[in-house]
Amino acid sequence: MLPYNESHNRKGVLWLLTINNLVKQRGNHEILSGISFKARPGRVTGFLGPNGAGKSSTLRILLGLDRATSGSALIDGKPFAELQNPLSTVGAALDGFGAHRMRTGRAHLRWIARAAGLPRSRVEEVLEIVGLTDAAGKRVGTYSLGMGRRLGMAAALLGDPEILILDEPVNGLDPEGIRWIRTFLRERAASGKTVLLSSHLMGELAETVDDVVIINRGKVVANGTLEEVIGSHSTLEEAFFALTTEHAGAVV
Amino acid sequence: MRAFNAELSKLFSLPGIWLAFLIGACAPAIIAALDSMAEKDDILAGVSTRLSEVGLIGLGAGVQGIIILGVLAVSSEYLTESSESGGGNQITTSLTAVSSRLQFLLAKAGAVAVISILLFVVAIVTTMSATKLILGEYAPVFEASKLVGVGCYWTFTALLAFGMTVLTKNGIIPLAVLIINSSVVTISYLLTKVTKLAFYLPDRAGMDMFMSDGYHTPITGGFIMFAWVTVLFIVAAIVFHRRDVAS
Repeated sequence: MLPYNESHNRKGVLWLLTINNLVKQRGNHEILSGISFKARPGRVTGFLGPNGAGKSSTLRILLGLDRATSGSALIDGKPFAELQNPLSTVGAALDGFGAHRMRTGRAHLRWIARAAGLPRSRVEEVLEIVGLTDAAGKRVGTYSLGMGRRLGMAAALLGDPEILILDEPVNGLDPEGIRWIRTFLRERAASGKTVLLSSHLMGELAETVDDVVIINRGKVVANGTLEEVIGSHSTLEEAFFALTTEHAGAVV
Repeated sequence: MRAFNAELSKLFSLPGIWLAFLIGACAPAIIAALDSMAEKDDILAGVSTRLSEVGLIGLGAGVQGIIILGVLAVSSEYLTESSESGGGNQITTSLTAVSSRLQFLLAKAGAVAVISILLFVVAIVTTMSATKLILGEYAPVFEASKLVGVGCYWTFTALLAFGMTVLTKNGIIPLAVLIINSSVVTISYLLTKVTKLAFYLPDRAGMDMFMSDGYHTPITGGFIMFAWVTVLFIVAAIVFHRRDVAS
């Protein structure tokens, strides 16, 4: 059993992510075959799986970027397209910078702030939070992978959202950046917000996540708290390999 | 309104758009100046039959800047890079900032239309200055109705470029087709020699809004071009609404 009462967080609002029996077909290929899980407020949920397992597809459907063949992916009980203020509800940093290379980092964040009706001062705040203030005047095309990830995080944080969805957030970050993101995500969860992050890296995640969902070839192979998923294995990494290679497809 | 502001902010912070502004604001004046010089003798002698069109032709040619505007507004969203430099793909950010795709598309089309009208006003000023400089007191005074015609032609052309690029996701095809058609060889003009139906193509019909002795009246020409814009926008909106961003 989960220690958290999933129905409501402290404000009495349901900031829950609910993925229910999600199926996605592209051509003849089934990318997702009935994915179901939840990400709860006040917890960091790690969505793990090898490359090509369907993690990004699931997150893209959740964010309304791709369409599900069947099933549902709901944010606070609604599909993404029905959210009134998307940026203050859910902040997302997907694979890639999501920015045009010829614009400066600051100009990129400014147009997003306009779309959400946020003041320019908020742009400077998030630049400060992610440590990108000094590079904000440079064109995105000159950014390193790590700087681009920070820019993506800054964009996700603009609306100070209740929910964060991050696709491979530690990819391309240096050890300092990884440490920063771990601390940051723990703080977000501690303040009652919902954090869902995907990764194919186990070591970086074991210290950050509360709940774990492991998917392999479009199917959930494990779902529970970190302790439950590790079970009799020595580490999360051990559990992951046991679940995704030897007994691929078996549900825990 | 927020989405519209965001789209304006995006366009003004994109360096490529300044090329569109430069062409839109300067090309009409340059062409009008050259045309004025060529016609100057006839005009001074009072035998020119084209006096009223001097300048309008230049303004007609300024649509190339507008085509770049309409195309870039969309293609910049889909620009992708190698994975080392982050992949680009601004569209994912755009669509997570505005939840309704139709709203996003309308905001972008609105921003393109507003900028093309503003640019047109600038072009009128530069073109009138150019003809005045060369022809002095003989410079033609533009009829208001024709100016409205060219203004509509600019805006509709920008929206056609916009709609085409939503469908292709890539700027190269719409740019090539529209720029070639409006400069090097006017394919639609050649087609009018083959079939009368070609007069119903958007650029042909649209030009009747401001050129004398057109096939259609200015009003009919405008309606035909507007119908093309509307149909293209509806098709683009349906395709865009259904499309996976990843595909």
